Amino acid sequence: MKRKLLTNCSMAVVGLALFVVSSAQAEMREWTSSDGRKLEAEFAGTSGAGATAQVKLKMANGSFINYPVSNLSEADRIFVKGNLPTDPAALAAEVDKLVLGKMKDAYYGLRDEKAALPGNEDLSKADKIKRLKEIELEMLMCVPNEMSTDSQFLRRIYLDVAGRIPTFAETEQFLNGRDANKRAKLIDELLNNDAFAMRMYNYFSDLLRVREGVFMMGNGDIKADPYIEYIKNSIKEDKPYDTMVKEMLTAQGKIWDAPAGGYLLSDSGMRLCNLSNTFTIFMGTEITCAQCHDHPFEEVYQKDFFKMAAFMGGTETRARGNMMMGGTDYRAEVTRMSKILKDAGKLRERENEDRNLRQWLGTNSVQVTDTGDNKVRLPHDYKYDDGEPEQKVEPGTYFGEIVDLEEYETPRHAFADWVASPENPRFTINIVNRLWKIGFGLAQIEPVYNIPGHLDGQAQNYELLTFLETMMKDLNYSIKDFMRVVYNSNTYQRESETLTPSLTQVDKGTYHFPGPVLRRMTAEQLWDSLVTLTTPDPEAIVRRGADEYREVMHYDTAQLKSADDIEKYKQRWRSVGNLVKYDGTPVGRDDYVGGEMMFRASELRQPQSASHFLRMFGQSDKQLIENSFTTGSSPQVMALLNGKITNAVLTNPEAYLISEIANGEGSKRDKVDKIFLSVLGRYPSPDEKTAAQSGMRAKRDRDASDAEKMNQEAAAIGDVIWALVNTREFMFIQ
Amino acid sequence: MKDQLNKLDELSRRQFVANTAKAALGVSVVPLAGGQMGLAAEGGGKAEHCIFFYMAGGMTHMDTFDPKPGTETGGKTKGISTGVAGVELSEFMPGLAERFKDIAVVRSMTQKTGDHRGGSYWMHTSYQPRATIIHPTMGPWAQTMLGKMHPTLPDSVVIGGGGNHPGSGFFGPALSPLPIGDPDKGVQNAELYKGVDEDKFGKRLELMNTFDSSFQKKFKTDEVKAYTQFYEETLKLMDSEDLDTFRLDKEENYDEKVARYGNSRVGKGALLARRLVSSGVRFVEVSSGGWDMHNDLWTAMENTGKGLDKALSALIDDLKAEGLFEKTLIVLGTEFGRTPKINVNGGRDHHPRVFSTMFAGGGITGGQVYGKSDKLGIAVEENPVVPQDFNATIAHAMGIDLSKVIYAPSGRPFLVAGHTRNADSDEIVPEGKPIMPFFS
Repeated sequence: MKRKLLTNCSMAVVGLALFVVSSAQAEMREWTSSDGRKLEAEFAGTSGAGATAQVKLKMANGSFINYPVSNLSEADRIFVKGNLPTDPAALAAEVDKLVLGKMKDAYYGLRDEKAALPGNEDLSKADKIKRLKEIELEMLMCVPNEMSTDSQFLRRIYLDVAGRIPTFAETEQFLNGRDANKRAKLIDELLNNDAFAMRMYNYFSDLLRVREGVFMMGNGDIKADPYIEYIKNSIKEDKPYDTMVKEMLTAQGKIWDAPAGGYLLSDSGMRLCNLSNTFTIFMGTEITCAQCHDHPFEEVYQKDFFKMAAFMGGTETRARGNMMMGGTDYRAEVTRMSKILKDAGKLRERENEDRNLRQWLGTNSVQVTDTGDNKVRLPHDYKYDDGEPEQKVEPGTYFGEIVDLEEYETPRHAFADWVASPENPRFTINIVNRLWKIGFGLAQIEPVYNIPGHLDGQAQNYELLTFLETMMKDLNYSIKDFMRVVYNSNTYQRESETLTPSLTQVDKGTYHFPGPVLRRMTAEQLWDSLVTLTTPDPEAIVRRGADEYREVMHYDTAQLKSADDIEKYKQRWRSVGNLVKYDGTPVGRDDYVGGEMMFRASELRQPQSASHFLRMFGQSDKQLIENSFTTGSSPQVMALLNGKITNAVLTNPEAYLISEIANGEGSKRDKVDKIFLSVLGRYPSPDEKTAAQSGMRAKRDRDASDAEKMNQEAAAIGDVIWALVNTREFMFIQ
Repeated sequence: MKDQLNKLDELSRRQFVANTAKAALGVSVVPLAGGQMGLAAEGGGKAEHCIFFYMAGGMTHMDTFDPKPGTETGGKTKGISTGVAGVELSEFMPGLAERFKDIAVVRSMTQKTGDHRGGSYWMHTSYQPRATIIHPTMGPWAQTMLGKMHPTLPDSVVIGGGGNHPGSGFFGPALSPLPIGDPDKGVQNAELYKGVDEDKFGKRLELMNTFDSSFQKKFKTDEVKAYTQFYEETLKLMDSEDLDTFRLDKEENYDEKVARYGNSRVGKGALLARRLVSSGVRFVEVSSGGWDMHNDLWTAMENTGKGLDKALSALIDDLKAEGLFEKTLIVLGTEFGRTPKINVNGGRDHHPRVFSTMFAGGGITGGQVYGKSDKLGIAVEENPVVPQDFNATIAHAMGIDLSKVIYAPSGRPFLVAGHTRNADSDEIVPEGKPIMPFFS
């Protein structure tokens, strides 16, 4: 399938700036380095991006050299940046230009409206006063915020990209750095870190509803590990997003062989729900209502829904035959092994079959297959005149490209190609709208799961949105590169909003992103930040299971001859997905911190139990798409005031941060700095320093031993940490 | 690039507008104390409290309150007598069949969406989900319309609810129902951590306030203000004796009661709800899952179905014994019913066209069934009841004015049980109608 760069005329206008690249190529010109050296060469493209970007030059003799963009003269840097579609700084500048332009237009429009208001005869006096207030608020939102300080930027970029606050060492390194380009460098560094994959996994697992046991119902006999690792690895490898979506929609086989199949297995037995979910997740379109009747507001007819569903009509998530690897019927194996266990006295009195073995081996029948038999029929109560009840429906699309089924292996493959096509008018816009929200706390179009079919005039920053859409295509659907542009923009690097943008404003198209929106950390960001306060290396412990799981499920069980063998095999099954350290050694209770599993949220149980800290603060239950929340509650406050994490894990005398600080070098003043930098990523103000030190001034008890004094100081440091973690400043992302 | 002067001008303007905006945005709905209606004459207004059982996932009507034994869609479910001629409940509801004279069943509920989130939202709020606003649920509506019931206890509590509960919607976070995850754990972390005394706690709070003052001064967003308010209210709650109200272990004869209510989430939820209501909480929602029975429905009903029956039966008995039954409305709701057609996995799928709900206590006349589904349980045959009517019935029982218009901060008008507009005059018309036979 061909991928066109530009897909409709509205994008062409914006795309123009990016398109110049071809004309800039293939001309000899003089290049100057920042220290004045000169060179004749042809421009032949770039590699890398951001601070590591390099320009590729073709010499007169036909050889190529790569040269760092940052070492070029200003004029040459502008030449390169202005001409390259993949250069993040240039793209970021384009984003800024569009944002500022829109803001300016809106500002002048409002100013004119305000001037004309007294003479407006259509409005009553009361309405004029009301409108005047609105205008003033809207004008306020049309002035770009100041640029963020290094401290603000540091904390925000860590939370957004790495999903946690920076450690003390990371904070010190950045704040003391003198490189003028240090922000861009840090962005690159973080995007390449495993922490980025963990953070984005948290986002996608909320969107895709990734949960232990995979199914909506069921008892967890299928391990989610292959699917979980598939998502994390896709982010790590920077797999193009469109490829990822196609893989999820076309995976064939068992989850341990085709991990992306976890997506379709999540809605096992609910073909129609899965279609609705696919539209919501990948196309930002809510069509659930068309399952039962024509869509009341959009042009989606019930027939359309079933035509779309018919693409998956021959796809099943259960296979007949119950085959294990090698073609054995699993039931016979369960019977054989159960008998061995029974004879060895390992089963209960009335138990003749090992329930675990039956269920675990039974998962061999869970697989995505294509039967070729389209099961989709119109509903029995179908009431429109374009079809009969129970009538068989042929696959067909109702917007975007028309699909020729002949060209594809199965209708499902045709559907996947249609969904994840740059020609699909909702596919790219959906992901850029969502990714924008990750950076700014608010999407261009809200709500993200229901983008109107006809966008013109509805999206507040239409030009910006279509620019981002084109950019995503040019960047070959690289989430990493897309976010690199967002994070390098001034728009992102400005101070955050001090007021709440009203939804009415977003709706009316009068919010233009003077800066990111102040937002509460997600539950995962909050948890992972607390984890960061307990260790020098928050990513040291990870969950691994996909490979082991494949081995366990590929195992030829006929080799298991004794009860002992079987018990060992069961133990292996159970241990799949355990936590390990860098070197692969298993994590034990000794590695817990204060008895708690203080490890990154993405590596823990998915989702956590309802009473866990993560769930209390809004981790999704993974039952519905984007079911996480960031609203407050009294139980959250009680957990921070009286819970174990703030009262023991972070603040007992042996706690990591306390022993680092109490035993560390430096005066009390330095120690206070260190606490503030560790928790809030900034230095304390003089008042704050005084307050913190007065708490730390251990009683000068002559009779107290050194150990007691040390303990008193540790307790005082604990009080300061407790207080800082309980501030709103800690919980919110500036 | 703007010149410096221009920028300064805009910054000071910004400051100025920020103050006006604060005043404008800070306005919230003024709570109205005292009931405004003479509903008592029509049999309403007797319910001072409400316990709302929400069956998340879509409760099968076919196997609970509207069984169709012997028909092609009835499945294995048998009917049992209620003592009222011609009315049977399913075999999974033996306790309620025995107490049928106390309950009123609706068999003609209907709504339009088969998705959990949309259906649950509609049942909870009377409005379909919209992108630009979150509508409040009934507890916060009651508090807004009737005033706060108890000086320190929260007005509404949700036990076992999910993260997606619409809560207080546009009334703002201050009216959010207090969430309790596990009824046995009550309010977690409500007491000072062991080893932390009042003195130390006070010192820590003082530090917290010092450290947070500059941030709070700068950022005046609704979310930040809400958290600060949660801190204030939580500290107040920790100081009061009300916390015991939330502790099931303080309940007399705990073991005997758990045996009667059922050792289940819904059973203990009901027990805690009773305890809260008798202490002065107005509105308690007990949310209970397990109803999305796509697979193996009859195995699931053994626990989920019978568990619900047990919990409701014990609750009715205890409220009666305490003399609270007449002033406590019990409501049972869910997002939709389940398909009469049994699927290949021995389950039933989503079915919003017709389903059942139940009312009891709080001035409701028991022993009756309102509305009717068709022979196979597919569609409404008589007296359709939509979510707006369902909530209107709750509101009427509680004495909440159904025609009172409340304006959201955005200026949009809303009513407790939904509204439509007159096509000609564009006047606001209250939408939901109470099921009046329940009040006769």
